[in-house]
Amino acid sequence: MLMSTRSQASVADPKTDQLQLTNELPDPALENDVRLPRSVQALYLQPLRRETEYGVPSCDLQLRSYSIPNLEFFCDFALRAAYYLNLPAFGPVPLPKIIERWTVPRSHFIFKKSQENFERITRRRLIQIRDGHPETVQVWLAFLQKHAYYGIGMKANMWEYSPLDTSKQMDSELPSMQKSIDEKMELLGQSKVLGTVEKVKELLESERFKHTA
Amino acid sequence: MSMFRAKKLDIGSFVNVKVIRDHTKRKVFAEYEPERQALRYIIQNTTLPARTRAEAQLQLTQMHCYTRPTQIRGRCLLGGKGRGILRDFRLSRYNFRLQALSGNIPGVQKASW
Repeated sequence: MLMSTRSQASVADPKTDQLQLTNELPDPALENDVRLPRSVQALYLQPLRRETEYGVPSCDLQLRSYSIPNLEFFCDFALRAAYYLNLPAFGPVPLPKIIERWTVPRSHFIFKKSQENFERITRRRLIQIRDGHPETVQVWLAFLQKHAYYGIGMKANMWEYSPLDTSKQMDSELPSMQKSIDEKMELLGQSKVLGTVEKVKELLESERFKHTA
Repeated sequence: MSMFRAKKLDIGSFVNVKVIRDHTKRKVFAEYEPERQALRYIIQNTTLPARTRAEAQLQLTQMHCYTRPTQIRGRCLLGGKGRGILRDFRLSRYNFRLQALSGNIPGVQKASW
């Protein structure tokens, strides 16, 4: 299709009916009058926000970084993503800085008088989502994780609201979820089971312990 | 001890005898931890007969010293030094200073306040 248009354009008389193949304005003088598309223009403005209806918090996202520009940029990105997912977002709230300091001697032991101070300041921002549907919030978090920015750590707390007999429902769902839960839990904390219990049994049945009981 | 030491070098940091020794101790401790914990459990369990518990005490004291957690010591990744280690970075104080000044440790700067 494209090929045929091109050939037609080349065959056609250049002065009478030339097909416009490039994305340029017919008159270059008009360039200043043309506005940017709204979605592009929005990038130059503060991020848009959705209104809350009830104000019930559903997710707290904490962002941490050592550098402010990266952090501000990613907060902005997160807020925009929340807007387009229809999530009312609040923030970024600047949380207290975490300042760690280390003092080390500049050289050998005997020159203890001359020391040097180093510090690491972790900046934190909090973005809260209110009235979000848990699934949408998860989509948002997954999107942020997919487009994670360098040098920025994220952690999120999520809250869900469910009917009173939650335990019964969870019990019924457990068999189907077991596999995915095990997969996730393997990545968390200790992956290795210590095996103390088996070891105790083995020891108590061993030759050295048998005669003591 | 040579019986525990790996036949082939299995660490990638700065290497000297002390570093290899400490690495070996860490591995041996991890290997024997269940046994130590089991013996400690038997010793502390007052419902077990006294002779069993005494036997467990004996066995625990007879275990090799490399299986003790107290044998493990932090060592500098870049110089193998055993003293003046900053735990946050696992570097000795001087190597930490060099790395921090050259900007190799994320977020660490010279402080003045």
